[in-house]
Amino acid sequence: MEINGVKIDNTFAEAFPMKATRLIITAMTLKWAYRAANSLTGFASSVIACGCEAGIEGELKPDETPDGRPGIAIIIFAMSKSALIDQLTKRVGQSVMTTATSACFSGSHSDKMVPLGSNLRYFGDGYQISKKINGIRYWRIPVMHGEFVCEETTGVVPAIGGGNFLVYAKTSRHGLTACERAVDAIGKVNGAVTTFPGGIVGSGSKIGSKYKFMPASTNEVYCPTLKGQVKTELSENIGSVLEIVIDGLSEEAIRTAMLVGIKEVCKFGPKKGIYQISAGNYGGKLGPYHFNLRDILA
Amino acid sequence: MTALLLTLKKQPELPVDLSPLTPDKLKGKSKAQISAIKLINGKDKTPVSTLFSVSGSDTENIRIQRSCRQLTHIGEDMSFGEIQVRGDAGNYLGKHMHGGHIKVSGHSGDSTACGLKGGLIEIDGDVGDRLGANFIGELHGMSDGTVIVSGNAGHRVGERMRRGTIVVRGHVGEYCANWMLAGSIIVLGKTGNYLGNGMKRGTVILTKKPRHMIATFRHCGLLKIEFLRLFFKQMALANKEFNFFRNFGPEAIRFAGDVSCEGLGEILVLKNARISK
Repeated sequence: MEINGVKIDNTFAEAFPMKATRLIITAMTLKWAYRAANSLTGFASSVIACGCEAGIEGELKPDETPDGRPGIAIIIFAMSKSALIDQLTKRVGQSVMTTATSACFSGSHSDKMVPLGSNLRYFGDGYQISKKINGIRYWRIPVMHGEFVCEETTGVVPAIGGGNFLVYAKTSRHGLTACERAVDAIGKVNGAVTTFPGGIVGSGSKIGSKYKFMPASTNEVYCPTLKGQVKTELSENIGSVLEIVIDGLSEEAIRTAMLVGIKEVCKFGPKKGIYQISAGNYGGKLGPYHFNLRDILA
Repeated sequence: MTALLLTLKKQPELPVDLSPLTPDKLKGKSKAQISAIKLINGKDKTPVSTLFSVSGSDTENIRIQRSCRQLTHIGEDMSFGEIQVRGDAGNYLGKHMHGGHIKVSGHSGDSTACGLKGGLIEIDGDVGDRLGANFIGELHGMSDGTVIVSGNAGHRVGERMRRGTIVVRGHVGEYCANWMLAGSIIVLGKTGNYLGNGMKRGTVILTKKPRHMIATFRHCGLLKIEFLRLFFKQMALANKEFNFFRNFGPEAIRFAGDVSCEGLGEILVLKNARISK
């Protein structure tokens, strides 16, 4: 299969189940909402070492947020509910509450709710106030900029992590140019986020290592500098491989995100240094969700 | 199915307890069974059919026509459905109500919404004393739900109130939020003396500075209370009656107290609140 001269490998992306929640962060201006959101989603690229994966889902207009201020929707993913609770408390406490004028609300309601403001309220040292509006409890925590308002709980929903595709390019410059466009397109898909810096992974990994203490290590078969030295997946003309990893709230969200991302990359074609699209999998051993590239693009 | 229509034949001389006539208690009952229900009328018990002409069959949607102040305990303990009262309602309207909706086109008596636990009560006219307060002998006033009064309210609005929201578009009497434990009271008109006396927690939102503030409240200054943005927007989204909240901003003068108790309650006097009734 080829699109615009770009070869599509007959393979699949392998993804695994996660737990996720969506948060709405508001602030006096969109700029400050972004500062809080960027801080919260920082160092949240992979659960391998970050404890969670998180990304910005999109901007919200004032009429779309609970308090009528500009906001940012973010999605945070973890391997278990308890890990999610731990990360929520730390990240909202240290990144959102510390951002001037910010407030934090739940963006996903389900029958499984986990603590949000109810864990952060103790920062109020007894001066915190709870308020119930239309059946939802909020915490008002007095802080130095005024008041930090936070919804008491947020809903946990089943999610999927690890949707991905690989872009084989002539050089890193060619690859990045195409991948940046793909990440922009994926950013418009509801319920899907790219959690790595700029949405692009420059150092995709394989499971395990020759060193016992390493849970993951470099994926040598995709390393251009090791061509000729190891059994490689790369042909002569490929000088860079970039990966776009997508986490989503549903299979449909990931499938849509992969589709728009790959299509965007393929628009560049071989003349602009994009040769091949593949996907990362572990032979079906890692997760139950398999996103076949050719099925998605059919 | 048409709404169950109870039209008062003649204004009774003594109070009539209407607590048996709620959607919960009338569920599954025929018109004949409803007509035979005996209501406490003074020291007597009088059948419904003697006091009201009964028509319609939808017991989840009850309409009381030609209502007067002698009809008490309307909607007591109800948990679902709707009661519309055309005319005035007596004391204890919506007492211990759990859910559902009561709408009164006229005035309502004392202890309206006392011990309210949920649901919505709307009164187009005035209400008596002890709106949303505790029922006699009980420790707590209303613990959830929403009450909207378009007219004025008497003394001791929200006394010992524990949760929920009271909105009074007119004036309130003395001892508003007396010994209030939590919850929210919004008053668009004037407030009487001793506002917030003994208040432990909770929020009173005013559009006019109180004529008299008790000495045990501390002035915190003019502040931007970010929570008010959320509160006003969510209230307006939940009920079109609260659309006027969209005109309110977050700026308010805050008074904290009552410091003679825990001192964690607050009275917020909104700055530049535009009221369009």
